[in-house]
Amino acid sequence: MVFKKKGKLILIYILVGIVIFAAGILFAPLIIKRGYQIKKWISKPFVAPQGMRVIRLYFSSPDEKCLFPQEREIIVSSQMTEEIKEVMEELIKGPEDSSLSLTLPSETEVRNVFVKGECIYVDLDFSLSKKHPGGSTGELITVYSIVNTLLVNFPSQSKVQILIQGKPAETLAGHIDIREPLGKRMDLVKEISES
Amino acid sequence: MSTGEAVTMNHIYLHIIGGEMNKIMNRILKISVFFTFLIFIFPSLSICQNYEVKKVDFRSYSTYTRIVVQIDEATGYVIRDLSDPSRILINLYPANLNIPEEKIKVGDKFIEKIRLEQESKSVVRLVLDLNKNLKPEEYTHNTFILKDKNFQNFVIDVRSSNEDIIANLLEEKGSFTFPSSDLPISSDKMNYKIILDPGHGGKDPGAIGPTGLKEKEITLSVAEKLEKMLEDQLGAKVYLTRSKDRFIPLDERTEIANQLGGNIFVSIHANAGFNRRAKGVETFFNSRYAYNKEAKEVAARENISFASEDVPVGIKRILWDMVQDRYRSESNRLSHIIQEELCKAIGLEDRGVKSAPFYVLRGAAMPATLVEVCFISNPWEEKSLRSDDFKEKIAWGIFNGIKRYLQLRNEK
Repeated sequence: MVFKKKGKLILIYILVGIVIFAAGILFAPLIIKRGYQIKKWISKPFVAPQGMRVIRLYFSSPDEKCLFPQEREIIVSSQMTEEIKEVMEELIKGPEDSSLSLTLPSETEVRNVFVKGECIYVDLDFSLSKKHPGGSTGELITVYSIVNTLLVNFPSQSKVQILIQGKPAETLAGHIDIREPLGKRMDLVKEISES
Repeated sequence: MSTGEAVTMNHIYLHIIGGEMNKIMNRILKISVFFTFLIFIFPSLSICQNYEVKKVDFRSYSTYTRIVVQIDEATGYVIRDLSDPSRILINLYPANLNIPEEKIKVGDKFIEKIRLEQESKSVVRLVLDLNKNLKPEEYTHNTFILKDKNFQNFVIDVRSSNEDIIANLLEEKGSFTFPSSDLPISSDKMNYKIILDPGHGGKDPGAIGPTGLKEKEITLSVAEKLEKMLEDQLGAKVYLTRSKDRFIPLDERTEIANQLGGNIFVSIHANAGFNRRAKGVETFFNSRYAYNKEAKEVAARENISFASEDVPVGIKRILWDMVQDRYRSESNRLSHIIQEELCKAIGLEDRGVKSAPFYVLRGAAMPATLVEVCFISNPWEEKSLRSDDFKEKIAWGIFNGIKRYLQLRNEK
């Protein structure tokens, strides 16, 4: 009795195996055809959420005494460096509102962005220093509009290193020392409601 | 019977407790002996280990090379100039190497390489092999110690003895003796050395106004007027980092000031912004740095290979910050007084005093300030700057500020 029962079980297993094998042969062309899709599905189970994100850009007051935040929407990217680049490009575009002033020469190009540890490295082309109006105030506004904007929108990072043509520069136009990573300076920021 | 049994049980019980107690007491005793042992051993350990050389670093500047040795405690040292091949030998005693013996390639104007060795027990030898092209009479060196909370920095500066810029300045000014590190200030006479730094110059025009006025011209003109006032009315010794339209790198400006042993450093600039409406007077002093975090950042960045000749190295910038940080409150005060007097003299908008990381102020070993006299990018203020009368007023304002600051310092 017992022996018979076991034999029956084995028989069932073999049958199931044969059915699966047959099914495999039947669906083989389909698997081969769609293989790349299946592979993609297996290796990338997480699909980045496509959507918009509100960012804060720091522009200057017309008298250049302080920075004011302005909100804008950008498309969310799966990579932080891509998003940082996008934020920088929005900052270079300048304010939509004529009551605020831009903080970087509009010709500035973002060459590269990378992140190491808690520091964002933002590599800009030489027009940032070449087309810069100069002056301590002008430089202070430029440097901290970049630093504050990036660190407020990417709070996991604590410092920003500005690079010009891939290298750390001494200053933009002879004043603010940008050889090293800088932390944000919220004392230069005023919320619009305050004024 | 039952009571007797209870008694014996009790006795056994007590015995057991006693045994446990004994064990615990024993353990407590052992632990306390161990801790007292530790208490005695720690200070002796620290006495043995305090004189540890932790790090050697260097930085090449245009006019000198600075070598920094980080030690836990200040040690004695002997310094000798040797020839064939020419080298500087420094023996630190008592000191022990905490790091493996090192050969650091420098290859700049002054130094070929740095060697760090454990010469014998508790003597660390530092050898600076000099550049072969450097003749013995062409260089000089000075050493000083900078203290931090946790360690000491033993600093050696190797510089050329016939410093062009300094020589030029001295030619213009007549005789001059190198100052000692701490200048006593005579109380009755205003016997000060004031370093004025006209911003920009040469290939660097600075900011340019809407009708083409150049910042470098304004800064030099104001500095010259101010120099005359300070000399005539205060009898102060005044040095300008440039007296011509020439380009001087930022680190050289503070280097000149430090070598001359100035009492205050005033950098004169004209401001600019993106918006032409920006106007007024603004004065700056150097902001404080967070050393440890900064050091970590720098170290982290060093691991990235930049295609740059000027890869920053470790502690030297932190050292510069320490230099100016010592004078931070004085710099703050000097800035506020100049700002107030300048606004009073020229009647323009007071934008206040701010602190920021200024390259030119960072290395100054004296109270240092940067004055942005007004906005050259503002059409109205640019127009005013064209008038000699207005520049005279600016110089007068800064003069009053410097005078009031020095008087206050004298009273102390």
